Amino acid sequence: MRAKKIIEYMRQELGPDVLVVSAPRDRRVFINIRAEALRKAVEALKRKYPALRFMTISTVDCGLHFEFLHHFHVDGVVITLRSVKPKEENLLESIADIVPAANFIEREIAELFGIKVMNHPKMRSLILTEDWAEDKRPLRKPLRGILPPQARRVAESLISMGCVAPISRFIERRREAAGLPKTPPFAFTDEENMKELHGIIKEVSLSEKVGFDWEKKRLRYR
Amino acid sequence: MVKYALFLGCLIPMRMPSVEIASRRVFERIGLESVDLKGYTCCPEPVFSRLIDETGQLVISARNLALAEELGLDIMTLCNGCYETLLETNETLKNKSDEMLRVNRILENYGKKYRGLIKVKHAIEVLYEDIGIEKIRECVTKPLKIRVAMHYGCHLYRDLSGDIMRKPRMMKEITSLTGVEIADYGLERLCCGYPSMQVDEEFSLTHRLLPKIKRMVEAGAEAVVLTCPACTIQFETGQVLLRKRGIQYEIPCINIMELLALSFGFSSRDIHLELHRGPILRLIKKVEGD
Repeated sequence: MRAKKIIEYMRQELGPDVLVVSAPRDRRVFINIRAEALRKAVEALKRKYPALRFMTISTVDCGLHFEFLHHFHVDGVVITLRSVKPKEENLLESIADIVPAANFIEREIAELFGIKVMNHPKMRSLILTEDWAEDKRPLRKPLRGILPPQARRVAESLISMGCVAPISRFIERRREAAGLPKTPPFAFTDEENMKELHGIIKEVSLSEKVGFDWEKKRLRYR
Repeated sequence: MVKYALFLGCLIPMRMPSVEIASRRVFERIGLESVDLKGYTCCPEPVFSRLIDETGQLVISARNLALAEELGLDIMTLCNGCYETLLETNETLKNKSDEMLRVNRILENYGKKYRGLIKVKHAIEVLYEDIGIEKIRECVTKPLKIRVAMHYGCHLYRDLSGDIMRKPRMMKEITSLTGVEIADYGLERLCCGYPSMQVDEEFSLTHRLLPKIKRMVEAGAEAVVLTCPACTIQFETGQVLLRKRGIQYEIPCINIMELLALSFGFSSRDIHLELHRGPILRLIKKVEGD
């Protein structure tokens, strides 16, 4: 019951910023939220539950993004706010002004992962030496997705063009010279068909899974 | 007239258009009407796409099937990889109603629906079963006097009946109609190494491609007959890469459609065989003379 009430309250306060919720047990609540709504969520919890106890923040380097798990305890229930940030942003908003106990763990995250913690009240080193190299953070992995190097061009081509062997000017000329249409009747010859294909790819989260950047039309880690 | 929706795939029209040209000439000559599948996409590619996202692969593949279904036609592929992807998707959707529902829920957002009403066939099956050996034999006007080795390609062994040799037998029989002598070399079933090329070039070339080529040459083959474009790429570029390792082989590759077209009397110029990357000129000289 307690878990259900907490979820109801958070849904009411955050609206669409709550993405997914689950309560596997009455004393355990997971709330996936938009990263931009992190402070709003913590403020809402603090407002409703003045006895809110901050536990810790777990940070997971997932290759393409960071997963932040802010754990709280209230009235016998453990609440985890889960948010995800693309690795390129490399930012975490500090909540130390709302829950001062977050101060040290945020410093630890900044040091071990090389993540910039915004608006932290007093950012300085905690574990590593002051002269520790910026680009050699102990818990940070390189920006990397699930695809091995050999599969990257194939995936890029499949997602952006719907075809694994992009046509070259040379082949276009040779096809025309051989009396064939310049290009076969592929989807990429028609804007509507490409909209359809891209819609499907986004809907099944294929592009998200492999880390495809729609603006640059390439993988984020090639 | 036998009529099919033609699924060209990616590699044939983009990398080896001579196979597309030859296929169209052959279809016309034997009375097979092939309707181009407008707006099609990659099948999608059977190795990586399935590993990355099975639902994505099913939906993209089902979209291609739905395009053929809209035309009211069964689908015919020229490429072994496309054949396997489309065949497996078709079977999955026809036999698993929950998958069919899941896939159609996505397709319906784009005005498409797949009902599972069509069949997927490889061009080899269409030639053998729908056109028939006799009709093909009638069209052979210029029997080819060369000795060839067969490479069927792994995906051609996939068969719903469980008889994995069904389509390779068809391919061999059709090939023999062109007048060529077929050299059995004992390693027909060995993979050419194309998929392993993505992971380990050395293994792919020296443990897959090389033993095959060696045995083909020892068996006196003057060319390799294939139907899979990926295998063709492996044989043609693989020999170039082997040369860099000091291993010299120059065996030309020819697609079964190109072989049929030559035996039907089309010249190598008619079907633009010069677009091959392998040592095809030697074969052309042998077939057409200087």
